[in-house]
Amino acid sequence: MEINQSTDLTGQVQSLLAEVFQVPPGEVTPGLAFGDLPQWDSLGHMDLMLRLEEQFGVTVNTDLIAELVNIPAICAYLKEKGHE
Amino acid sequence: MNDLEIELDRLELIPVMPIPDHLTGEVQSKLAYVDELIASAQVPPPGDQIVLRLRQPAGSLPEARRAELEDKVQRVVTSMVKGAFKPKIQVLEDHLDRPTPFSEDPMSQLAGRGEISQEAPGVYSLGPLVTRLIGYFEGRFLDLAASFGAQPYRFPTLIPARYLERVNYFRAFPHSLTFVTHLREDLDAIDHFSQLAACDEAGVLNTPPASFAQVQTLLSPAVCYHLYFALADKTLPGGKLAATAVGNCFRYEAINLVSLERLWNFTMREVIFVGPKDYVLENRETARQRMHRVLEETGLAYRVESANDPFFIGEFRKQAAFQSAFQLKYEIRARLPFKERLALVVKRSSPPSTLAVGSYNYHQDFFGRNLNISLPDGSPAHTGCVAFGLERIAFAFLAQHGLDPAGWPVHVAEAIK
Repeated sequence: MEINQSTDLTGQVQSLLAEVFQVPPGEVTPGLAFGDLPQWDSLGHMDLMLRLEEQFGVTVNTDLIAELVNIPAICAYLKEKGHE
Repeated sequence: MNDLEIELDRLELIPVMPIPDHLTGEVQSKLAYVDELIASAQVPPPGDQIVLRLRQPAGSLPEARRAELEDKVQRVVTSMVKGAFKPKIQVLEDHLDRPTPFSEDPMSQLAGRGEISQEAPGVYSLGPLVTRLIGYFEGRFLDLAASFGAQPYRFPTLIPARYLERVNYFRAFPHSLTFVTHLREDLDAIDHFSQLAACDEAGVLNTPPASFAQVQTLLSPAVCYHLYFALADKTLPGGKLAATAVGNCFRYEAINLVSLERLWNFTMREVIFVGPKDYVLENRETARQRMHRVLEETGLAYRVESANDPFFIGEFRKQAAFQSAFQLKYEIRARLPFKERLALVVKRSSPPSTLAVGSYNYHQDFFGRNLNISLPDGSPAHTGCVAFGLERIAFAFLAQHGLDPAGWPVHVAEAIK
């Protein structure tokens, strides 16, 4: 079950990234990281952080901005905050 | 100006949302660009008020004009404050408690001795003492560059618009750009100009705008950009490069152009690193440690702390947070004792007042990606630079030690004899 839940969360995050960076969902692989897409640059990263706050109701402080730089790290943080 | 006039040109506004401590300075500096009516702007603590001085009595403004002005001010507040991330201030060195024997504003003495001559807002000529002092600091920065084996470069004062477009400069810093033009290649326009060109009382050159060619070139806002453009669309030979150059830089700061603290036309010495991430970050840190020894010899009271670039309002919130989170920029901030003395007149205590005189910067692979600068393995190069404002560091030194070399730290006094 945990694997499925994790996959669901990863899927949600992948969808969010595809929307924020305006790329086809297929381009957002589960291991995607900052810099892997031209759109995931400094401004794109901050747009993503703001959307994470909006969509998942979490707070992203300055320390987290530097930590949430790939999909697995984002999913781990969201899971820690009770999202499955 | 008498008290009555002071009251008449004052306009107080309540910001749409309180401006937190860490943003009052940033918002205040951006208000300079809001409207030509604004002669000065202040956001006093605790950030629940904005005080403007206007170039005409506030009461004489038509209602619609006043509403337009207020709307623009509130747009700045909303854009910079709403959803702002609180930066993490990291202090790497703190030597602000070094003795600073001088506490006057050196500007009047410098002017009185003919050591500075203001040509326009933010544009100064410098005399022998300041020039020698700058020469001293330049010597120390060249020593620093040599310690890295940095290759010397010379760059032009002009920079093509398409270069700045390619690195997103127009979106990030539109307010500080300085444009270059010339008369069109048109005999009639040139003849007309040569016969009728004249400046009005305000120094404005009265020329029909149609006489000017379209802008393709600007005055350069930074030194290191030229190196990155020289390396663009190539593979970096050897995979790493240390370089150094000095150049005139131009950043328009409107009513914020004050004394030698904020110049429109200033000189910057940079030591620039291009290569893999570790190479750039290690050299940036080594440069800081070496500069620590240099600044100790000069007796400068300063602190090195994390900072952000002065992005314009549209990009400020996100870019400043990104720089802070990834610790991309640290500034050398030198004390200005005279400002603390002025603040004490109205308050019992005052935090140290400081001026950025240099910075340690890391750009990640921003320039490597945007300008296609590749390392031999095909990955984008990382870049960083150590930059010093020559007029500013000399000004801060004079503000701390005065104009008489007899009272200066021996190392500096001996060097400029």
